[in-house]
Amino acid sequence: MNAIIAVLGSVISTVASWTRKKATWPLRVIHAVRLPVQQVRAGNRSVLDLAKTALGTGSALAVLAVLMFPLYWIFAASLSSGTGLMSTDGLFADPTTYNLDAYRWVLFESPFVDALRNSLVVVFVTVTVSMSVVIPGAYALSRHEFRGRKKILYGYVLFTQVGAGLSIATLIALYVLFNSVGLSNNLLVLGLFYAAGAVPFNTWLLKTFMDNIPVSYEEAAVIDGAGRWQVIREVILPLSKPGIAVVLVFTFLAGWNEFIVARTLLRPENYTLSVELYALATAGQYDTPWTQFSAFAMLFAMPVALIYFFAQSYVESGLSFGGMEG
Amino acid sequence: MSTSFLERVSAVSQRRLPFDARNDSLFGLLLAAPGVVLFLSFMLFPIAFLVYLSLTDATHAGTVIGGDATIVGLENYIELVTDAQFWTSLTVTWLFLAVSLAIKIVLGLGLAMLLTHARVIGKRYMRAVVIIPMGLPAIFIVTVWRGLFSGARFGPFNELLASYNDIITGVVGLFDQAVFFAAVSAPELLLVDLPISWLSGRWSAFLAYVMTEVWLAYPFMVIIIVSALQDVPMELHDAAKVDGAGYLYRFVHVTVPAVKRPVMFASILTAATSFQQFLIPWIFNGGGPSRQNELLIVYGYREAIELNQYAFASAIMVTAIAFIGLFMWLAVRKGDLAAGVNGA
Repeated sequence: MNAIIAVLGSVISTVASWTRKKATWPLRVIHAVRLPVQQVRAGNRSVLDLAKTALGTGSALAVLAVLMFPLYWIFAASLSSGTGLMSTDGLFADPTTYNLDAYRWVLFESPFVDALRNSLVVVFVTVTVSMSVVIPGAYALSRHEFRGRKKILYGYVLFTQVGAGLSIATLIALYVLFNSVGLSNNLLVLGLFYAAGAVPFNTWLLKTFMDNIPVSYEEAAVIDGAGRWQVIREVILPLSKPGIAVVLVFTFLAGWNEFIVARTLLRPENYTLSVELYALATAGQYDTPWTQFSAFAMLFAMPVALIYFFAQSYVESGLSFGGMEG
Repeated sequence: MSTSFLERVSAVSQRRLPFDARNDSLFGLLLAAPGVVLFLSFMLFPIAFLVYLSLTDATHAGTVIGGDATIVGLENYIELVTDAQFWTSLTVTWLFLAVSLAIKIVLGLGLAMLLTHARVIGKRYMRAVVIIPMGLPAIFIVTVWRGLFSGARFGPFNELLASYNDIITGVVGLFDQAVFFAAVSAPELLLVDLPISWLSGRWSAFLAYVMTEVWLAYPFMVIIIVSALQDVPMELHDAAKVDGAGYLYRFVHVTVPAVKRPVMFASILTAATSFQQFLIPWIFNGGGPSRQNELLIVYGYREAIELNQYAFASAIMVTAIAFIGLFMWLAVRKGDLAAGVNGA
């Protein structure tokens, strides 16, 4: 009983402190604004100095606002179903008329759900296949010396950094090859192709991560009598979990984001989300259904963008993880 | 992907585990092999097939599969260098690369300096916002920008220009009322003729390509430059200030040397991706109007998939791959790629 109360108490206090931190931000902003004003009054800080800071911050915010305009536009458009978007009313619809009709259309009336299923099939193949070759490959390149190791690394890095468009260049050959064996309209083959393209970058990434795991852990395990597979299973894999999670995200994105290969190889019944998005965007020269397109685009891009940034910050923390041993 | 990333990799010197060395070699190779085989079978094999195709007279997928194609040697390449469209395409590709690269460097440097400046409050949050385009799917960005460049009368950019026109007319109108004895009207030169059909004009479409490409790629530039600028010790700036160096002098002698190498490295990589740009021209207007803006890869893709000239298209793609190889060579020679591999 006491234990339950203690747990409850700690949960409540955590939530409370978090809420306080979030809820009091206007107060803290006021404080941050008031402080320099007081400094100026007291004569510790000149008005010119304060004006310079305000000007610098203000101009940075203005530049940011201009750069992010496309995102704001697409977001506002997705909420403007049935209002005066792209009419004499101006660039943006009246915010009081914002509604979710476009999202309802995407989810219940558009091909979104079918395309989502196709996308998930492709992504599933991409992730499973690439993970099953990336993890052993990264481990071997990080921990073992063998003939051709450097050549493989070189090849992977070069392709990662420079050769991303090669897949379009080779698309002609692939189209012919896949057609000749009757595999062109096949989601599994497409997933396999993406997996192959995802191998170099992700192997390199995971290898880098594993490089930062201190060898002394493995040595300790070996001294305790662990065999080769035991070392991999009980030292390398558990310690690589954050790196593996990041690779999972990137292979997921490889299958989710690609467009032109899917568009070339697939027939309409197998279209993935990216191809459907394109179809919606190019539906007509002047009567593109903008609100519906933008709702579709938001649903397609925003979840994966969030995952991406989560993974990106993980990459950073994952790399600094190895630094703890110096 | 950044240089510091590679440096950190090379900084870690790896010791090997005390397993039997001879056995170990085979074990490592066996673990790495599946990935290499998968990669090569979907990448190197198609390239080899592409080279073969470019030496035949295949026209459409059927001739290739049916075995009707015969070897014609370098005929496709001769046809290629005599094709005016090839030279148009190659020129516009390099122009696109050069213009967008120049803007990317200027914008990236400006943003990076702004977002590391001591006077700007909340830099860290702003830096997180400024790299957002990097996390968005390319197809999303390109289709959204296609919408922004809509040629319709109430397309977003046309609407923005309309408000610009209104402002100019308004200002001139005020002036007209103030100077009551002279009839002043807005000069035609300052006003924009609306609506602009962005994607139907050659240079307006080119401008649209460049703007979109810049928006796609500037975050990478900003990240690289910011990390380079943060490595510059503050004392260097202070010392220069004490010596009476002006802003321009400090920029040329402190900032530029610090960012030169990273910017060059980032430029090679981003130039390589610009060279292979396909989505922007293809989705905007298919490389139009009348094939004037067909970047190299779009040219090759159209010849194959739409015009059924497989062998000819293969020759184009082989040429493109040769250029990409050139970029790879440049990246190895001038970039930090070698350090990342050799140090690890």
